[in-house]
Amino acid sequence: MHSTSSVIRFVLIMTSIVAVVLSFMATSLKGIHDTNEAVYNKKAVLAAVKDHIEGDFASLTDEQVASIFDKQIEQKVIDMSGNFIAEADVKSRGYKGGLAEHIDLAKEKKREESDRVLPIYIYTKSSGDKFYVFNVRGNGLWDEIWGNIAFASDVNTIAGVSFDHKAETPGLGAEIKDNKEWASQFIGKKIFATDGEYKSVDVIKGGAKDPVHEVDGISGATITADGVAEMMERGLKYYQPFINSVKKS
Amino acid sequence: MSGELLNLFIKSAFIENLALAYFLGMCSYLAVSKSVKTAFGLGLAVIFVLGITMPINWLINTHLLSESGLFSLDLTFLRLILFIAVIASMVQLVEMVIEKVSPALYNSLGIFLPLITVNCAILGGSLFMVSKEYNFSESVAFGLGGGFGWFLAIIAIAAIREKIRYSDVPPALRGLGMAFILTGLMGMAFMSLMGIDPAAF
Amino acid sequence: MAETTVIKKKESTFAFGKKERKLLVDPLNDNNPITVQVLGICSALAVTTLLNKAIVMSIAVIFVCAFSNLITSILRKSIPKQVRMIVQLIIIAALVTVVELTLKAVDYNVYKELSVFIGLIITNCIVMGRLEAFAMANDPWRSFLDGIGNGVGYGIILIVVAALRELLGKGSLLGYKLLGPTSDYLLTIPGYAPNNLMVLFPSAMFVIGVLIWIHRSFNPKLVDIS
Repeated sequence: MHSTSSVIRFVLIMTSIVAVVLSFMATSLKGIHDTNEAVYNKKAVLAAVKDHIEGDFASLTDEQVASIFDKQIEQKVIDMSGNFIAEADVKSRGYKGGLAEHIDLAKEKKREESDRVLPIYIYTKSSGDKFYVFNVRGNGLWDEIWGNIAFASDVNTIAGVSFDHKAETPGLGAEIKDNKEWASQFIGKKIFATDGEYKSVDVIKGGAKDPVHEVDGISGATITADGVAEMMERGLKYYQPFINSVKKS
Repeated sequence: MSGELLNLFIKSAFIENLALAYFLGMCSYLAVSKSVKTAFGLGLAVIFVLGITMPINWLINTHLLSESGLFSLDLTFLRLILFIAVIASMVQLVEMVIEKVSPALYNSLGIFLPLITVNCAILGGSLFMVSKEYNFSESVAFGLGGGFGWFLAIIAIAAIREKIRYSDVPPALRGLGMAFILTGLMGMAFMSLMGIDPAAF
Repeated sequence: MAETTVIKKKESTFAFGKKERKLLVDPLNDNNPITVQVLGICSALAVTTLLNKAIVMSIAVIFVCAFSNLITSILRKSIPKQVRMIVQLIIIAALVTVVELTLKAVDYNVYKELSVFIGLIITNCIVMGRLEAFAMANDPWRSFLDGIGNGVGYGIILIVVAALRELLGKGSLLGYKLLGPTSDYLLTIPGYAPNNLMVLFPSAMFVIGVLIWIHRSFNPKLVDIS
């Protein structure tokens, strides 16, 4: 049997060694972790406009992703009434970077609806065409789901989408991320009716009938698919003041 | 507010059952489910430990490890170590307290307590709590609900395994193999609860 | 279930003879961690939906198992008995954190998919079980081998289960489309639809249950008499 003091000494030495080793690893790898995370988020935004990016999107290296994002995307932050917000104000909300890419919609969701801010990414193709990428966030079956929705310059026709999720079932709900064919259905759909009324895009179990405002569901994942429809309906509505101001100008 | 917590309790006990929807804590679930009596003891101990460790780990995670916490540093890389240390020491503490206060309860529960440290439902619960970003009272409700769900699941399988002892199962499938298949079937049954929102009632 | 094995003969430290080979090979079949010792089931179920996740998980478990065995065995004489469990858990948790930090730097996508389950390696009873049953009583080199053996034995089952589930559930392996109704699959069967049940949790239970059944049919000495 060991005496109490030797037990305490052993535990103290052991924990300090472990803490030092781990802190050293964590600090030395932090740079790489942060770059990885930033590239992961940038790639998700670019995935929404992947059909309009030169070269094969899947084989882009991390450096290429970062350079396309930095050169061709203009980032803006708006408030709920559609006005642009300065970088300093974004920083004062707790986002150190101050840019649209640093905004966390999960944190915004916890604020009052009128007090939220929204990120906007404006992608300019080399031909000069403009695309607007909006962020939406909602609930799937198990946990949160979110997505980047890209619009053509009319801010009505969808040019591409990329969804992601926290914990949907692989092969069922997770298909919103993994099944590229399903996501490509959204391309060409419109969120406004011809008379200008906001309709969003609905996900219909058993097959879409309206060719402009509906897409097919995912078999076995009705709740996740409904979650996608709800999140788009609500999330894109937040951008309406901004969309109206683009249309006027 | 309390209604929301009740919903979360029901949700974590039935719909997102730690044992039958996430399949956590399977090792002790399969090893200790041969009779209802022992299953009952282990189940109670799990409720107890989950209910205690979840709020403590919540406090550690929000007030020590996060950037807005005590040290204003991002210490999340120490999360795993601290969580498991809390769980291990809580289990030991609970063991000592029970031994002092109620020797009878200790005799029926005592042998299961060390097993709980390595029950992944406990650590898994704490990690899910972090990834789901619960607040303090939600983490208490999630801990108790999750523990209760696990308790129900292990009692259910123990009861089935007691009955099935008299059935004519192929020799190679007896015991463990059958327990796996039974758990799979129970998991399928629980899947039908998936996606139900208790707030809708 | 976990028996204490002590190798008494004091041979040279890094010998690799029959006994050492047995340490490596035994866990692959007669003493497999999953199908015989029933340890480490939780992660086996959760990460086996796709083959690449299972492979990453296996590598992580082999690493943690081997090195925690090694470190515990080196420290075995100085670890105070009273705090044995906590010390072991701290060793494991530290190694798991190393794995987590490395994976986050190497492949961020896989890290995102596996994050919670990497943490759960800590409570993977194989690691803890081998520390108690073997590393606390044997020298570092043999403990290291025992760790690798058990890690590999665990990994094999994980990979078999994942391959079955991905092939039957999604018609693909490692993301390559193999079996499906349309022509972009390697083997086209018109009207065939992958079975969605295979990617859900319960199917892992069925697959492992059937694996145990097959394993025990060929290995009657393992049959549960009770």
